[in-house]
This record gives sequence, C-alpha cells and structure tokens, in this order.
Amino acid sequence: MSGRTALAGKEVEDEEHLDVAEPESADEPGRRPRWPRVLGALLAVVLLATGGLLFAEGRELRDTPATGNLALTDAEATTRVTGDVSNALGRIFSYGPDATALAKDAAREVLAGKALQQYAALFGQVEKQAADQKLTLTTHVVRAGVTRLTGTGAHILVFLDQVYERRGRPATTASAQLSVTAELRGERWRIVEISSI
Amino acid sequence: MARAGKTRNPLVIAATALAVVAAGAAGWGGWQRYDAAHDDAASYAQARDDALAAGEQAVQNMNTLDHRTLEKGLDSWEESTTGDLHRQLVDGRDAFAKQIVAAKTVSTAKVLSGAVTELDERAGRAGVMVALRVTVTAPKGDPAVKESRMLGTLTRTSEGWKLSALGQAPVGSTAG
Repeated sequence: MSGRTALAGKEVEDEEHLDVAEPESADEPGRRPRWPRVLGALLAVVLLATGGLLFAEGRELRDTPATGNLALTDAEATTRVTGDVSNALGRIFSYGPDATALAKDAAREVLAGKALQQYAALFGQVEKQAADQKLTLTTHVVRAGVTRLTGTGAHILVFLDQVYERRGRPATTASAQLSVTAELRGERWRIVEISSI
Repeated sequence: MARAGKTRNPLVIAATALAVVAAGAAGWGGWQRYDAAHDDAASYAQARDDALAAGEQAVQNMNTLDHRTLEKGLDSWEESTTGDLHRQLVDGRDAFAKQIVAAKTVSTAKVLSGAVTELDERAGRAGVMVALRVTVTAPKGDPAVKESRMLGTLTRTSEGWKLSALGQAPVGSTAG
C-alpha cells in the first residue's frame, strides 16, 4: 500500500516537473505524460533483447561441434558401445574348421545392413578355407575407442589381433585396424559397416 | 460505472505483464548464459577434442624425421612430449642423432584415424589410440610403407596436451 502511495506521489512530481520543463509535450492538461510509458516500453524491449542475446550466447557455448559428440562425455553409452562392438568382432571373426556355424549365427545377431551383406558374401570363401586348410582363426580386440557417438549412432576405431592356426604349422598373428560404424537397435549396438583403414 | 475506480486499466495490466515477461526473459537468458559457461559436459567434450588433436599431431611428429633437418625434427619431438618420455628423448638425443645421420633416412607419417580412450580432465591425463601410415625412405631401395598403431598417454601442461608415454599397440598379446 505504501508503495502505491509513494509511486503515485512520484508520478505527480514527475508530472509537475514535466509541465515545467516541456509544457507542450503533455497531450492535454490533466492527462498523464507519455514519456514514462515510452521509457517503460523501451526498458521492456531492452530487457527482452538482453534475455534473447544471453540465451543465444549460452546456446552457442553449449552447442559446439565438441558437445554434439557424446564419446566419453556419456561414459555409460561409450562403455556399452565399445563392449558390444568388441564382443561382436570377436565372435564373427573367430571360427574353427568344423565350427563356422557359430560365427555365422553370431553374424546374424550382431551385424545389420551393409555389414551383414558383406559378411554373407565373404562367408562362402571363409567356410571353404577353414575346411580345406584346417584353419582356426581367433580374433581379439586389443583396443577400441569411440571417435563419434550420438544417441543412436557410433563410429569406433578398433585395433585387433587375429591368430591363424593351420594344422601342423606354427600359429601366426596378424594385426588389423578397423573403422566400425554401429547403430543402436533396441537394447544392443549392431555393426552396420566395417572398413579396414 | 460506479466501480470504475476499482477496475484496472487494461493498459496497466498489459504493461505490468510485459514488464514481468521482460524481466523474466532477461533473468532466464542470463541464467542460461551462466549455466552454459559452467557446463561441465561442454568443457569435458572440449578437453576430449583438444586432447585428440594434440595427440594426433604429437604422434605424427614423433614418426616424422628427416636426416637433412635433424635438429628441427628432434626439437619438434621434444616440444611434443613431457615427463619421462621428454627426459628420455633429451638424454638419448645425441646418440640417436648420430644413428640417423649415419642411416640417412627420411620418415614421414600420416594419421589415418585416432580416438581418445580415456580422459581424466581433473588430473589432466588422457589416453589416445592412433592408427597411422609411416613411410621410411633410405638412400638405397624403395620407400618402406607400414601401417602402425600406437597407444599414447597425454598429460596436460601449461602449453597444452603433450605425450608423456608412447608405444606400439602390442601384437599377439593375450589381452582381450
């Protein structure tokens, strides 16, 4: 209440002051002067603009190319995708001369899209080679790192070792570096593309 | 119109609403701006990208050496490293320089891909894996090209991220 009274008193003062300074600017005698309204409107506009500007600045700080990539910033998803992909690679690229079916089944489970087609195209040769040469291949991931991660897609760099064992010959180890693209399908990450780098 | 005195002027109501909205917008915008500047996830993401860029560059530097510009090359090695690795390079510099001068080799490297595998922003430590192609040219014979895969540890210094350990990813180990 006292605030209102004080405000009213101030307005009266302002009116008087205005009348003295610029008498012709008041529309009619007895009506309120226009300038407090103009000032108020201006202030409101300035405040709105400031708010907008600060918000835009905040967005710019937050939405950088760096923050668009969730690799490591989302620790749980990062661990999950590297785990799923490492497991998948180990399963589909490990087989024995009489145990290629296991890898084939695994491929249907962990691959999708282009990767599945490539694998299917390759698998005829693999089966033949494994049987003819009595070849056992064991693949394990040495290190995997996520280069790019979003809610549903990931790119992973994988260093892996492949041990080839042919009956009657010493085992040989080959190293490979793969770039893997994975997509989140339901609960699991599936590999949709594999390329050697 | 007996109650005219009690009825608020719609203009006053509108002006008050505008003032409240404007003040709210300024306050909210300010908060968003403040919050963004103190966003841990954003600074962590930036540190990750900085570490990767520095790591890839450092690994490339460490695989590049030309016997004709040996001093410059070895300086770049020392500038890319810190800690134990840096000390080893400084200590072994003279002996290594003699070897390179005798062998007259030129090594160049191209980074194929890299990723940060771990990052502790507070401790200023990061782990990187880098796949690269190294070409070594000796005075006689064709250049030898080999794919190389390296694991490095980065430590943050006042001049940015630098390698404090670097090695080939082991082949044939049973780690899995």
